[in-house]
Amino acid sequence: MSGPATPTEQRGELRFDRTVLANGLTVIGEFNPFAASVAAGYFVRTGARDESSDVAGVSHFLEHMMFKGTDRRSAADINRSFDELGAQYNAFTSEERTVYYGAVLPERLPRLLDLLSDMMRPALRQEDFDVEKNVILEEIAMYEDRPHFRVFELAGKGFWNGHPLGQSVLGGQDAIRALTREQMLGYFERRYAPSNLVLAVSGAYDWDVVTADVARLSGGWRPFEVGRDLPEAHPASGEGRTRDGALSRVHAAVFAPGLAVTDERRYAAAVLGNVLGDDSGSRLFWALVDKGLADSASLGHEASDGAGAYVGYVSAAPERADDVIAAYRRVLAEAQDGALDPEEWRRSQRKLATSLTLRAETPLGRLVSLGVAEQTLGRYQSVQDVVRAVMESSVEDGRALLAERPFDALYVHRLEPDGAPSA
Amino acid sequence: MSSPHSGDTVHEHRFDNGLWLLFEPMPWLPTLSASLLLPFGSATDPEGLEGSGSVLHDWIQRGAGALDSRAHSDALEGLGVRRGGAAGREAASLSASFLSGELASVMPLVAAMVDEPRLDAAEFAPARELAQEELASLADAPTQRLFNALMERFLDGGPGRSPYGTKDGLAALTPESVRQDAVRRLGPGGAILAMAGGADWQNVQDVVGRAFRGWTGEAQPLVEPKVRPAGSGHVTADSAQTQIGVAFPAPDPGDPDVYAYDLGLHVLSGSMGARLFTEVREKRGLVYSVGASYRALHGFGYTLGYAGTTPERADETLRVLLAEIRRLTEGADEGEFERARTGMLSAVVMQGESSGARASRLASDALLQGRARTLGEIRRAVEAVDLDRLNAYLAGHPFPEATVVTLGPKPLSHEAAA
Repeated sequence: MSGPATPTEQRGELRFDRTVLANGLTVIGEFNPFAASVAAGYFVRTGARDESSDVAGVSHFLEHMMFKGTDRRSAADINRSFDELGAQYNAFTSEERTVYYGAVLPERLPRLLDLLSDMMRPALRQEDFDVEKNVILEEIAMYEDRPHFRVFELAGKGFWNGHPLGQSVLGGQDAIRALTREQMLGYFERRYAPSNLVLAVSGAYDWDVVTADVARLSGGWRPFEVGRDLPEAHPASGEGRTRDGALSRVHAAVFAPGLAVTDERRYAAAVLGNVLGDDSGSRLFWALVDKGLADSASLGHEASDGAGAYVGYVSAAPERADDVIAAYRRVLAEAQDGALDPEEWRRSQRKLATSLTLRAETPLGRLVSLGVAEQTLGRYQSVQDVVRAVMESSVEDGRALLAERPFDALYVHRLEPDGAPSA
Repeated sequence: MSSPHSGDTVHEHRFDNGLWLLFEPMPWLPTLSASLLLPFGSATDPEGLEGSGSVLHDWIQRGAGALDSRAHSDALEGLGVRRGGAAGREAASLSASFLSGELASVMPLVAAMVDEPRLDAAEFAPARELAQEELASLADAPTQRLFNALMERFLDGGPGRSPYGTKDGLAALTPESVRQDAVRRLGPGGAILAMAGGADWQNVQDVVGRAFRGWTGEAQPLVEPKVRPAGSGHVTADSAQTQIGVAFPAPDPGDPDVYAYDLGLHVLSGSMGARLFTEVREKRGLVYSVGASYRALHGFGYTLGYAGTTPERADETLRVLLAEIRRLTEGADEGEFERARTGMLSAVVMQGESSGARASRLASDALLQGRARTLGEIRRAVEAVDLDRLNAYLAGHPFPEATVVTLGPKPLSHEAAA
């Protein structure tokens, strides 16, 4: 093999398919002639940011309930059906969306689509709701023991300053205990409109079969209008602290204003985040992890619907935490005051390009980017398109982002043991 | 439709210095993944210097050949290489994934880390300090702490030791002690380099041969794991959930029965429709997370089970977990068997789509069994187990008594574990 291989040369036979059904459901596909499997997933444009305070945590709880049965299937039937298909499957909920997905061998795609589509119209039975509430409370307890997770919820709430992007995905113990099945049903009926869903398919499939199947399976879904509030963000800067006597270390999450998912500069922001905070070879890595001052120090850019943020994390021993957090801040300040090196920029571009290409090796790895691009941009983006956009973002673009001085408005939240030295 | 995924080709070559190269061609991919296993793990750390392997693993990544730490890292990242690796019980790993066209540029930089690491004195202190930070950070990671305590209770001697080392062991290290350790354990003798992805075998062999040809030295033999008598233990921690871990011996990874055993474990815990998830989470709502899976060290298999639950439900959770493990001896029904088998066979196909998954599986096969299996071999071996054979196996091989370790605010009541 000679010269750098590019995804374009070897993956030239990809094909994009897109159909909007009469009920408003968008169905998209990326056909890959080399795939040995196929992945499919429903992307619902609803998440923690779309919850009113009386139903905090409902999106995520509902995601669990979608596996608990339909008119045709019990909860056990759903799990058994996935197993009969040999599916690798799961679901996740974020501030922005709820996604249900699976990957199977190509001949089993029709049965996977039948199952996933049936699940999109859940029974929400009271007895299942009551048992699953305990599971949710256990999940919240599990994350209580994971400070590197919990600190992001605390920091996000402080940074977003009342903006819906700061709402907790899990909801709190009290909110979950108080939630009723009727409230969940009401939320479902407001949010799960066909037009608010995208079905994405990636890998080996027959498009005519896919669209005919899905048109039939979703034929009874009633269309209605769904919106999303996109208020302007007024992020806070400053510091927050939460003490927890069970902890041994200081965990800090760092937020700074970033870009929305439709902003063309988001690729440059991704490269800039990588230059500053990739988990190897970045400025934060050399300043803190390489020196053994912190066991973890990172930063990246997260582009969301209508707003975005640079989001980072650092953890250190309590006696060192002040120095470590000061050093973290200094790295970001010096990036704004100093020069970006074209070589470091290029390294980050290339690392991101490799990561994107690796993720696209498998249909399941490709699925989420495919669905998210449709949902956020309303158009297809191949891996090559994204790699190209990353490689074309220039060091001048990075300098322009830094010239806006996003890190002057840093918000840092510490989750720390009792008795940690105060700043 | 036709597929290029035959899954029956793994090339191998053993170089004169002992390095063992394995390669699975995935010609449709624009990427390559490499996994280098170096047989120095916590199991063979020198007595009193626990954590030496962990620090050595970090130190060899801090400069090699003509390049200092920063220059070496920049060179790899300038080629777009995504790096990984970890210090383990039996071996330390270095992994790299990159675009295939960079093969000839990447491999000399990887080889330099083992063939001519600089081991600069100035880089020793930060390497050790980072290892100490990582050890300290476990205090806030209860699940990881549980598994370290469980393995220590389950296995005797070296293989039971945590890969993170100990506070005293790390404090006792000196640049000289770790350099001596490198002489003793950082040789190509027992090293394995597994690769998978879009490249030509001859080219891979040539490039790797050139890159690693200067590397010499032996390696310490792996230590045979010995199981302690089953028992229980508790680690007191101020956590929201009680962490429950169980461990018991299983067929060794080269045993032909391992496929029947693994099918049995899939019936128990291969998916969200399997028995553990159904009984512990779906019917009773006791946990968010529960499972059991097959694990292995060289020539030694074992099963690890896990559940995390709030303290007041911990007794019941452990009782149901152990009851389901015991009940497996009674066998699986036709439907359970078919689902477990379908899941395992699908997973084989999907693993064959990812260069990183294939490289790391080839490397671990080579380490654990002394041979690499093709995906075709695994598929045929799974297909060869029918329901009668599975049930005869399960009936004839009841699970041995489990070692149970818990971590949380208070120990479990004695009845639950009995």
